[in-house]
Amino acid sequence: MLRHLRIIRVFVAASTQQELAYHANFAISLLNALLKLATGWLGLVIVFEQVDALNGWDYAAALAVLGVYLLVGALRDLVLAPSLNQLAGLEGDIWQGTFDFVLLRPANTQFLVSVRQWQIFAVFDVVMALLVIAAACAQITLTAANLLAFLLLLTGGVITIYAMMLIFSSLLFWSPGFLFTWVFDGIFQMARYPVGIYPGALGLLLTWVIPIGIITTVPAQALTGDISAEMMLATLIFAVVALAVASLLFRRATNRYASASS
Amino acid sequence: MPDSQIEVENLTKVYHVPEREAGLTASVRSFFRRTYRDVLAVKGISFSIEAGEIVGFIGANGAGKTTTLKMLTGLLQPSSGSATIAGFTPWERQPAYLRRISMVMGNKSQMLWDIPPLDTFRVLGAIYGLSSVEAARTVNELVELLQMQNLLTKPVRNMSLGERMKCELTAALIHRPEVLFLDEPTIGLDVSAQRRLRQFIVDYNRQSGVTVMLTSHYMADVMELCNRVILIQQGKLIYDGDLAALSQQLAPFKLVRLTLNIDDPVRALRACLPPDAEILAGMNGDITLRLDRTKTAHIIAHLLNSLPVDDLSIENPPIEAVIDQIYQGEEVL
Repeated sequence: MLRHLRIIRVFVAASTQQELAYHANFAISLLNALLKLATGWLGLVIVFEQVDALNGWDYAAALAVLGVYLLVGALRDLVLAPSLNQLAGLEGDIWQGTFDFVLLRPANTQFLVSVRQWQIFAVFDVVMALLVIAAACAQITLTAANLLAFLLLLTGGVITIYAMMLIFSSLLFWSPGFLFTWVFDGIFQMARYPVGIYPGALGLLLTWVIPIGIITTVPAQALTGDISAEMMLATLIFAVVALAVASLLFRRATNRYASASS
Repeated sequence: MPDSQIEVENLTKVYHVPEREAGLTASVRSFFRRTYRDVLAVKGISFSIEAGEIVGFIGANGAGKTTTLKMLTGLLQPSSGSATIAGFTPWERQPAYLRRISMVMGNKSQMLWDIPPLDTFRVLGAIYGLSSVEAARTVNELVELLQMQNLLTKPVRNMSLGERMKCELTAALIHRPEVLFLDEPTIGLDVSAQRRLRQFIVDYNRQSGVTVMLTSHYMADVMELCNRVILIQQGKLIYDGDLAALSQQLAPFKLVRLTLNIDDPVRALRACLPPDAEILAGMNGDITLRLDRTKTAHIIAHLLNSLPVDDLSIENPPIEAVIDQIYQGEEVL
């Protein structure tokens, strides 16, 4: 455990140095965070100017979903996406054969590919997301139990998005040129709004098949106290199972890897 | 250690590759019904290497060198056969095994490009679980040996290939491996960079006792570094022994240089040589003959008896020529 923390620490340090090598990154990352906030928030404001509730979702609840969406997205951009993206594309480790070096390390391969690259300026996004969540909390009565449930389900949501990304990254080993991660990014856009606003079947699909509901809506519901115990349990079980499946698939993918011949 | 450091027994690798013919119709057909073909890349090779040896692993492109190295480093599962290195089976990829080995690939980099090498070394130190003191000591030693003090703070992106290769070596040796696999480490380097790198390998091997297995297409690498070579051809091991003996054993011919004290030496030679003997053009009346190895003694005796020979020497052909013949698949055995 200590060793893993130390590995993460050196990865963070090295990545930060890499980012600082490019001055423009700082300004662009800040601008990017503001834009993400503005587009998400404006969308909500425009809708809730017209109506008080959307399919049972009021402004505060929708704002909570947006906050969770921004937070999970920020965590993804902070470490998961930059790390896993190194596998993909023509410059990527699989195509180039430099995945050899990852396999040669005496440490868990999945761990290494998941935490090796940090985009440190994404902490702007984290801060911004926390502000949005705080704004949502200010409009509801927050209990300690709700907060606890929220943290638990947020962890479940992060585990789920990680599992999804790992599954898409594993598929890269079968088709290294295809940008599976972009496909997932596209789908994830839909997580910005509560899955409840999507009509019946689509809502179910977005919860249990493409589990963006589990990633953002469910934790937000926990925050507003609008969730049943069964749903919480089912969500957490889903997250754990998804992670197990993803890890298994990743192991199969690496076993399949026969590095680009040199 | 009573047993060998590397023990390879009947190692075999069959690749199962999709077959594709040229043309659109063939592509469409293979999209719906893939056909596969088995390619036997490594065919039951066996050898053993003692701790501290430097062994050259040579063969033509596609002979199976890299495939073999990949099995020995645990990157590939063999189809059959066994290997034990430092007491481990490589493809089980146990952390304790991976800590004992290292690999440098001439055509792939393990450095982080945007930052100075010291930072890559720090990352590797953490991954290999070295204390910072320990890692710093090893890096200092290697930096001294490779004379790369000036490179430590230069971003890798801005380095020449020779400079980067020094960094790759330090990165590969930071955890003090027992076995080092070098896959064409000198590829693309200029002559003096190659020489420095070879000198480093010799020095480091002497200092640390590391076992080295090296592939290279440059015979100079192999001649200077390796007392022993393992030669594979189309996946089969065809020679295992010292390099000098290789040309003796595998070269089918000898080179004979001679000076004759007559006017038209070429014609005189033609008259008394067997038809398969080759006369290579010489200068100043010096002539080189290429003779079948088994018949050389007999032919020379005959020449000495019938022609006025001033000077004569018998040589083995240069190693490069022998290797070239083997790579081209000519019958030499």
